[in-house]
Amino acid sequence: MQGLNVTEKGIGYLWACLTAYTGACAYLMLYVAALVYICVFGSRREKEIFIPCSVFLILTVYNPIAPVILNRFFDVNSEYYRFFWITPVIVLVPYLFTRLIFTARDSKAKSVVTVLILCICLVSGNFVYRNGIQLATNIYKMPDELMQISAIIHEDSEAEYPKAFLEYEYNMQMRQYDPKMQLTVDREDYLNAVSTPYTEEMLEDETHPQYRLLAFLVRLQPIDREAFLDALESSKTDYVVINKSNPRNTFLLSAGLKKIAETEHHNVFRYEVKEPYDFELVDYTVVY
Amino acid sequence: MTYIVMIALGVLVNFIIYLSFGSLITMGIGKKHRGSSCPILLSAVIGFFLYYCVFFAVCLPPMKYYRPLSMLTKIWVPTVLVVVAASLLLNGKAWIKGFGKWVDRIRNKPALVLLIIIPVIIQVVLVSCTYNFTLDAAYYVANVATSVETDMMNVYDPFTGAWQDHYEMRYFFATYQIQDAVVCQLTGIPALIWTKSVMAVTVIILTNIVYYMIAGEMFMHVPFISGPGDEEAETKSGYSHVGYVRNNEFAIPVMMIFMLVVNLTFITIYTSSLFLLTRTYEGKAIVGNLAIITVFYLFIRMNDESIQERAWLITFIVCFGAATISSSANMLLPVELTVLFIPIIIRKKSFSMLPKYIACVIPGVVFSLIFVLYVKGYFVWYTFPK
Repeated sequence: MQGLNVTEKGIGYLWACLTAYTGACAYLMLYVAALVYICVFGSRREKEIFIPCSVFLILTVYNPIAPVILNRFFDVNSEYYRFFWITPVIVLVPYLFTRLIFTARDSKAKSVVTVLILCICLVSGNFVYRNGIQLATNIYKMPDELMQISAIIHEDSEAEYPKAFLEYEYNMQMRQYDPKMQLTVDREDYLNAVSTPYTEEMLEDETHPQYRLLAFLVRLQPIDREAFLDALESSKTDYVVINKSNPRNTFLLSAGLKKIAETEHHNVFRYEVKEPYDFELVDYTVVY
Repeated sequence: MTYIVMIALGVLVNFIIYLSFGSLITMGIGKKHRGSSCPILLSAVIGFFLYYCVFFAVCLPPMKYYRPLSMLTKIWVPTVLVVVAASLLLNGKAWIKGFGKWVDRIRNKPALVLLIIIPVIIQVVLVSCTYNFTLDAAYYVANVATSVETDMMNVYDPFTGAWQDHYEMRYFFATYQIQDAVVCQLTGIPALIWTKSVMAVTVIILTNIVYYMIAGEMFMHVPFISGPGDEEAETKSGYSHVGYVRNNEFAIPVMMIFMLVVNLTFITIYTSSLFLLTRTYEGKAIVGNLAIITVFYLFIRMNDESIQERAWLITFIVCFGAATISSSANMLLPVELTVLFIPIIIRKKSFSMLPKYIACVIPGVVFSLIFVLYVKGYFVWYTFPK
């Protein structure tokens, strides 16, 4: 879970984690209310199914000490929330709703209960498509522009596996669509780049030239021209694709990169690597 | 249109394979007991997990010794064909009978069947037609695409395409994506279409099958005031279910609709409902929804003692299969097994269940320990002989 740390929060981690997990949704509260209902009005079988496991969940998953102990053996900082998935909300809450409707005495009572339950659902949740349903525009479920960029680069490049620097979203998507495209920046570097500025020490790190590219093109930190070109050279980056609104477009042209094409929102630049390195797949036939 | 046919065909073939695998385990189950759920449905769900258990066993040696993906494909395809043929011979008649019952049900209760199917179709359309940007697809889908492109398994970094000198153990035992790669290599279907459409639809249908089975189980036992003598029967035994579903089977689709409502509205970036609807093809979405809910279904059946034959074997298959789908299962399922089954063992004083429970916990715990050893630097598995 982003931003939460067991060591820092201690036994307060669980509550913070739970708060982030539920957000504005009241379903865990509905689950607790349903448990109380089952305790009071439920049959023996219903109690056997839902009560003991909930008690054990309180003793284990919802025990504030549990993440602290677990964290000594495994790093659970980012994944502890997944234990909440075990809580059978998806069974108990719909079951009780249905049970209440079907056990209502007559059709009038059933209608009233149904309307009440629907109102509860409306105020308890957060609709997954609240911002509208974004339909995929193609069978690959990828942005059309990304597919165009892939085609442009392969048409332009003589290498089978050209290497490209892409902006955040396309960097995460490109290799799902086009595994022949090598990427300069991996996911973790990008995630770090969007959250933290680069220090001088990082920018001088010769083993990670991509830091300079990210600092200059994504974080818009000042880098001198030579350092930027050196980063492209040492990372063997053949192509740079950035949004037309990125203020670095004019710099790329002035630094000697060639704009080979543009799409609706992106410019595609080529950098002539001085000492080209053609990526090849490792030959495993010597092993077999 | 061609793509829709391709996706439908892919899903259909998946279910034939899962049914074949699962029927080898479930055949004969339920002959002495009431048939609260069609064995065909249970077989398909169990078959899904068994399929990935067997795939794991076949995949691991070639992957560990950096053999090509195409070699695995050549081993795996005959394996599946043999299992399907054997299952057809052994279970063909049972399938025809099972499907016959379903056809009768559709003829007799079309409204009921329609009410069950419509929410499922809504979910299928939503997951197969919507666009979602998720960071983790950069690993999961790209790993499938990379494996097909390079004809290797987990050897190249899915994020950048660079060669890796050692296996990343976090993902090593989760061979689910490698299976996707095998199918993509065999059929030529692009990784994105297979994972985000075919597998997403498959997982949605499987999850809803389990929802259906759970709703069926829950309402087998509910005393309805409208039913004659129900309250009395409930007071007497707490387990009586005479005629309840017969009179109230519409409770099943209603509960399924509420399950859909919860999945559509219990949404933060962390909930399993979000994973189900927007990241359906990821291993952890399958664990967080299908595997966890299947174990809960088995727990209900074992609590009611309505399934006795091979109940723990089935639970083991689900747990082991889930561990080969995503490493998230390694901790989640042992904890779920503990919170569900330890109370049963204590209440029923059935301590003979204890070793079976431990056996189900073992795969996840072992995979977790191996990962810890790797993280602590005790071993590394290289992708090339050293």
